[in-house]
Amino acid sequence: MLLPLVWMVLSAFKEPGSTVTVVKNLIAPPFTLESFARVLKPDGTAMMWRWTLNSVLVGIVQTAITIVLSSWAAYAVSRIPFKGKTFVFALILAGMMVPMESIVVPLFEMIADLGWVNSYNALIWPGMMLPLAFLILKQFIDQLPNELLEAARIDGAGTFRIWWSIIWPLSTSSMAAVGIFIFISSWNNLLWPMLVAQETSMMTLPVGIPTFQSTFATDLAVPMASNVLASLPALIVFLLFQRNIIKGISMTGIK
Amino acid sequence: MKLTRLRSYKTLMAALIFLAPFMILYVWFWIYPIFKGFISSFNSGIFGGVQKFVGLDNYSFMISDPKFWSSFGNTIYFIVISTPAIVVLGLILALLVNMKLKGTTILRTVYFMPFMLSVSVMGSIWLFILQSRTGLISEITRSLGMKEISFLGSWEMGWMSILIATIWWTVGFNMILFLAGLQEIPEDIYEASDIDGAGGWKKFWYITMPSLKGVTALVIILQSISSFKLFGQTWLITKGGPGTTTTPLVHYIYQIAFRQWDMGYASAVSFVLFLTIAFISLIQFKFLMKD
Repeated sequence: MLLPLVWMVLSAFKEPGSTVTVVKNLIAPPFTLESFARVLKPDGTAMMWRWTLNSVLVGIVQTAITIVLSSWAAYAVSRIPFKGKTFVFALILAGMMVPMESIVVPLFEMIADLGWVNSYNALIWPGMMLPLAFLILKQFIDQLPNELLEAARIDGAGTFRIWWSIIWPLSTSSMAAVGIFIFISSWNNLLWPMLVAQETSMMTLPVGIPTFQSTFATDLAVPMASNVLASLPALIVFLLFQRNIIKGISMTGIK
Repeated sequence: MKLTRLRSYKTLMAALIFLAPFMILYVWFWIYPIFKGFISSFNSGIFGGVQKFVGLDNYSFMISDPKFWSSFGNTIYFIVISTPAIVVLGLILALLVNMKLKGTTILRTVYFMPFMLSVSVMGSIWLFILQSRTGLISEITRSLGMKEISFLGSWEMGWMSILIATIWWTVGFNMILFLAGLQEIPEDIYEASDIDGAGGWKKFWYITMPSLKGVTALVIILQSISSFKLFGQTWLITKGGPGTTTTPLVHYIYQIAFRQWDMGYASAVSFVLFLTIAFISLIQFKFLMKD
């Protein structure tokens, strides 16, 4: 399982231009950082810094917006009595059945009409995993004891106050699980950013990496260096939050 | 009377304020596109040009379009080959990790790690391993004096490559699902069966397997759904070839919409994809409700 990763890392430390033929002396020196330097050099073909920044930015903004808005909506549907609640709930539940892949064509037309191609708006707004986040947060809010909220209401707390000082702090662990999940799927998204980020400077890592690598025919070291650099943030996040990530997956069970 | 009315008005306002931002985004970018796509599936005309209403023409074209059927068939083929592999390997890894021997936490980390790679990095690694002449395996067979294995030259090997890469990438995810299922089985059932003198194999067959029914169904359904969404692997590793033999449905939609710019037909195929996945998800819901 680990071998392909080890191979990726070792190859990345070879000189730029090294081919697969150097496999025999993969673990032998010379090791060099030149391939990394070549990847990080801002020359128009590789914009690793920019792509990483774009990926991180889109991931964080999507995650934050999804969590906050879903938490509000889940709170309203779970705890505030209003007419049409069943309809709203059914409508959101139905969204769980809609894969992003089946709506990219109309979405692209919408984004083109808005003049959003090659903009952060196009990368961020479509494809947020709203229904999933809503469902998980609602499940959590549903099981909070009613007395807790009643007590706050008697103390004179308004609807927003209850959300801010009870719901939000209590659901941090659910939110962390959902949030990491949303971030990973945003980080991995290839199809949608490929469609709307056509300029090199607007690409995210999954889009930029194959574009950059396609300019190297036999060179192994430089593409592998770009793979290593692109994987570092995700692997660091994984090693730091392994527990939450695994808990999140057992909880959501959705790919 | 007046007071309760005022109160219900106030709570309605509160609900509205809390729901509005979510619903605006959700309806705008999830619900509306479905309808927009459905409507444009009855139109014809290239992207940006004049759209003409053509009724069911796109759908009748689809029925007689060999490329549609081949991409649909390819998707089904991938479900058939990938699901058993993912279920069996995911379960084996979960059982290994669940043995709670020394070092199993590290194993869990290692098995799961590939899932954290972006699809592009994963695709790139496997492309460099599998590609002919300049690939790693090609180099190994050459230095051993063996005949080169052409991974990307035929459709069988092409699918095999996608399968290997997909399993390597996602088996850890499925392992976690099985692991969660394993940990829900109460210990005392095993203890009771110990007293009855059941062996390891019997315990696995009569306790572990039946208890994992639900998780296994979940893994099968999720794998079917993600097979219908298959795009990155074929796009990056086989490019859909040779010919169109490894082109799945989403890949084909991409070609119609963004190579030929035939948005009407692409919308029609997308709608069929939507209906198929919605159908599978309905089965999933039914299943989860039962639990």
